[in-house]
Amino acid sequence: MSRPRLTAARVAMHAVLLAAAAAFLFPFAWIALAAFKTQIALLVGQILFTPVLSNFEELLFSKTSRFLENFGNSLIVGGCSTALVLAAGSLAAYSLHRMRWPAGFTHALLLWAAIFHMLPPITMVGAWFFMFRTVGLDNTYLGLILAHVTLNLPLAIWLLSVSVREIPREIEEAAWVDGASTPVIISRIILPLIRPGLTAAAILVFIFSWNEFTVAVNLTQNETQTVPVAIAKFAQEHEVKYTAMAAGSTLSLIPALLLLLLGQRFIVRGLVAGAIK
Amino acid sequence: MRRGGAFTGYLRSALVAVGVLAALIVDGPPAWAAVKVEPIAVNINQSPWFDGFRKLVELYEKDTGNAVKLNVNPYLGSLEASRNSVRANEGFAHLLVVDNNWVVEFYAGGFLTPLTDLDPRFALEDGVNTYDDTIFWDGQARTFNRKTGKLLGVPINGNVEVVFYREDLYKEKGLKVPDTWDELMANAKALHDPPRRYGIVHYDDRNFVASNFVAYNFSFGGGIFRSPETADFTVTINGPNTLRAFEFYRELGRAAGHPSVGSISQGQAIEALVTGKAAHIVAVIAAWGQVDDPNKSVVVDKVNAALIPKGPTGIRASRAGHWIGVIPRNVPEAKKRAALEFLRWFQQREIQVKYTDFGAVPVRWDVAQSDLAKQRKFRFLPALAENSKIAKMPFPLAEARQVTEILNLRLNEAITGAQSSKSALNTSASEIHEVLRNAGYKTGKLPDLK
Amino acid sequence: MQPGPAEDRFWRYATIAPALLVFLVFTVLPIANLVALSLHDVKWIEGRARWTPVGLRHYLALPADGTYLAGVRNTLVFAVTAVSSQMLLGFMLALFTSKAVRGRLFYRTVFIIPILIPGIVIGAIWKLMYNFDFGVINQALGAVGIPPQDWLGTQTWALPAVVVVDVWHWTPFCFLLLLAGLESLPQDIYESARVDGTSAWQELRCITLPLMVPTLLVTLLFRLIVAFKVFDEVFLLTSGGPGKATEVISFTIYRRFFTEGREGFGAAMSLVTIFAIALVTILVLAAARRRETHA
Repeated sequence: MSRPRLTAARVAMHAVLLAAAAAFLFPFAWIALAAFKTQIALLVGQILFTPVLSNFEELLFSKTSRFLENFGNSLIVGGCSTALVLAAGSLAAYSLHRMRWPAGFTHALLLWAAIFHMLPPITMVGAWFFMFRTVGLDNTYLGLILAHVTLNLPLAIWLLSVSVREIPREIEEAAWVDGASTPVIISRIILPLIRPGLTAAAILVFIFSWNEFTVAVNLTQNETQTVPVAIAKFAQEHEVKYTAMAAGSTLSLIPALLLLLLGQRFIVRGLVAGAIK
Repeated sequence: MRRGGAFTGYLRSALVAVGVLAALIVDGPPAWAAVKVEPIAVNINQSPWFDGFRKLVELYEKDTGNAVKLNVNPYLGSLEASRNSVRANEGFAHLLVVDNNWVVEFYAGGFLTPLTDLDPRFALEDGVNTYDDTIFWDGQARTFNRKTGKLLGVPINGNVEVVFYREDLYKEKGLKVPDTWDELMANAKALHDPPRRYGIVHYDDRNFVASNFVAYNFSFGGGIFRSPETADFTVTINGPNTLRAFEFYRELGRAAGHPSVGSISQGQAIEALVTGKAAHIVAVIAAWGQVDDPNKSVVVDKVNAALIPKGPTGIRASRAGHWIGVIPRNVPEAKKRAALEFLRWFQQREIQVKYTDFGAVPVRWDVAQSDLAKQRKFRFLPALAENSKIAKMPFPLAEARQVTEILNLRLNEAITGAQSSKSALNTSASEIHEVLRNAGYKTGKLPDLK
Repeated sequence: MQPGPAEDRFWRYATIAPALLVFLVFTVLPIANLVALSLHDVKWIEGRARWTPVGLRHYLALPADGTYLAGVRNTLVFAVTAVSSQMLLGFMLALFTSKAVRGRLFYRTVFIIPILIPGIVIGAIWKLMYNFDFGVINQALGAVGIPPQDWLGTQTWALPAVVVVDVWHWTPFCFLLLLAGLESLPQDIYESARVDGTSAWQELRCITLPLMVPTLLVTLLFRLIVAFKVFDEVFLLTSGGPGKATEVISFTIYRRFFTEGREGFGAAMSLVTIFAIALVTILVLAAARRRETHA
């Protein structure tokens, strides 16, 4: 594809994008810089300051902080719950729209998923804690993973429904007639075609699981606490340790950013593949 | 064997027993001695004083060989953690450290084991503060009462309100530590220099105004209920003394306070102090950890703490913001006894001195008489000790949170001008009265303020 | 019947089973519990919960709760202004990003960043930015001679200030989904349109927007649902104040259900809110489907 002409419209478009990028980046930069300030420097709003590493030291090495452990916990919970949600969600989306279930069933399930998504988490955690403790799943990875899967499945199913419905039926029927089995159709045809939706869903679900607080704080204790719980420990009763929080959230961005960059390449490859097809 | 010898033996034993009994009656229960008990888990929240607690626990483990596991929760999440533990069939924490605002829920719900049920000889040592008797609960009257209630907990963090003031500015302007509220107002006005510095910063936002107002309310002779100790919960919030206190509180804010009215949290008021913007704040001593830390404050070594001033009739009152260690019912007996052993060890004077040295807030007033108080670093100890004795917990009932929410909303509305002081107090009174009536307390209401 | 995998009975059930299982096991109990709670008064006595049935008393008490009514009003205002700005902004940025050839990766990454940050950190840092004495916003205004404003403390500015934070926080959500939607649109239609000489504006109106309707709807739906659950920002920035200016429903529910421990009343409040949102959702989706079949 040739380079587009440098019209006034294009310049204006880029100007808008850059302005928006600046607006989005500024508060983020404030947070990232705060990680290197002393608390007092941040409180008085110093713009020029002497950077310190004490916040990261407190976060990673102090006796009251288990951040690396929490980080690892979040990776395990986030990774597993995202994988499970994508698997269950994509299968369910395909099933609901291509397996000829009665329309009432499909709508009922989608509606139930949306309604569950509307519940404020604080009204659920009591019941969940009771359930999980009864079977001994409180303070375990599995418990929190299952909880996060439940929380994020509605979004995944709805998103992937949109993607699945865009796939032309003829492709599937042709493959079926050619003798391909259902698993083959799903893995070789459906999944590659919903790559952008799948990637977007993966990124969002991972982020939501990574940042989830209310359920995590109820279902975990020291050994299984995740990053948001660790960061929340800096919001104390009479003092908010802003700079330590900033340090924690700067570090906690890394997995999601990596996933994002990975996802971009995945999509681009998919788009090219789609074009070639 | 001669019969006389056996008899003498018995007599000797009897004399020894009488002697021991006499010693017990005269000297009280025997001093604490190390006992080997089961390991326990403690629910506690992350806070500035947590590190002090953690170091103390390490000391306990070294001294006694008993293991203590700390379940550390963020402050936002500590209530859930303790609630979940007590409501389950078997709890996962054997000692819960709970904020005094939430502890009533645990008392009233019957989730706890009275300490004297575990060991009838257990008693609080003399030097320990009782913080408005918040550790004694009378299940019948459903309120705090030292005489008719049972001992349900030991304070773990002695957090109470004090007056923080800028000692350096006082020296500069030749001011004296205020004894009455009017003197405080005068000092605040003298140091009021906006926008560089405000005389005093109130924390009067939606979450905290009722707390900030407690010291003023009670020292002016006002209150919220007529006489909770006698289970008389007649609502008196809209009485003339309270009105006077509230008008004073507002006037102080107007004359020498921050221009941002009705939206400052306690944390922000403390931030104002450490950034040099506030010459006074009336806040909890837990803020002390920030004032002398060069990474957190520009007023290092310039601040001191004082006793909260007295009201027009000479009454003094501070606000209790302490945390209490309580023992749940739904754990095995052996674990409960182990938790009690920790509490027994914890309340000793030498231990409390070490606790203070580690950076926590002591729960004994006699720590102020130790050598520690002579150090510049611990110059707040005398004020802390005095304020601890007059600390009030204004909501001594199971519906504490509901009452607090009502008061916070209405007082905040009055502060921001959405309604007048009188109408805010009247509305609060009728709403609180409604809650108490529905809950079955002996209650009534004062006639509306005109 | 047309041929297709739907004939494969085993896989028909196997594909729906995992999701169905998750819903049955984990979602039924909390919702049933909430419904039951809303019809009872729960008191904890002697360490046990005592449930006293009270019929519809909690539901009938809702209109009398002034804070709840203020919450409904504020939440509606909040949801409409915040969500519409985010959808518009997100769509515009997604559209431009999809057309940009240079710097695409940069824009994609930058526009997602806010949603990577935990809500508690966003609330805390923005509170500092809005700070009257030291906040960077007032500092910037001061540099051009404008006096400091009390952003979070006045009735006029408090809700807009919270909306700004929400827009910053959640536009990435819309951006990400809408961009994914735009990138899955079939490119051949655009090729033929370009050959026919349609303008960019016509392309947007007649091709892009109609094709994007499903994605727009789902994004809008989920964004709205999350907007009604908004909590972190409000909690840290204003706690519902000053007065009731930023009181939102989720915060009132938190207060009644959790802080005050009135679980029956809080449950009723929660269910009424969900019912209202669900009703609106069904109506909007039904209307959209009718337009789809007409088109």
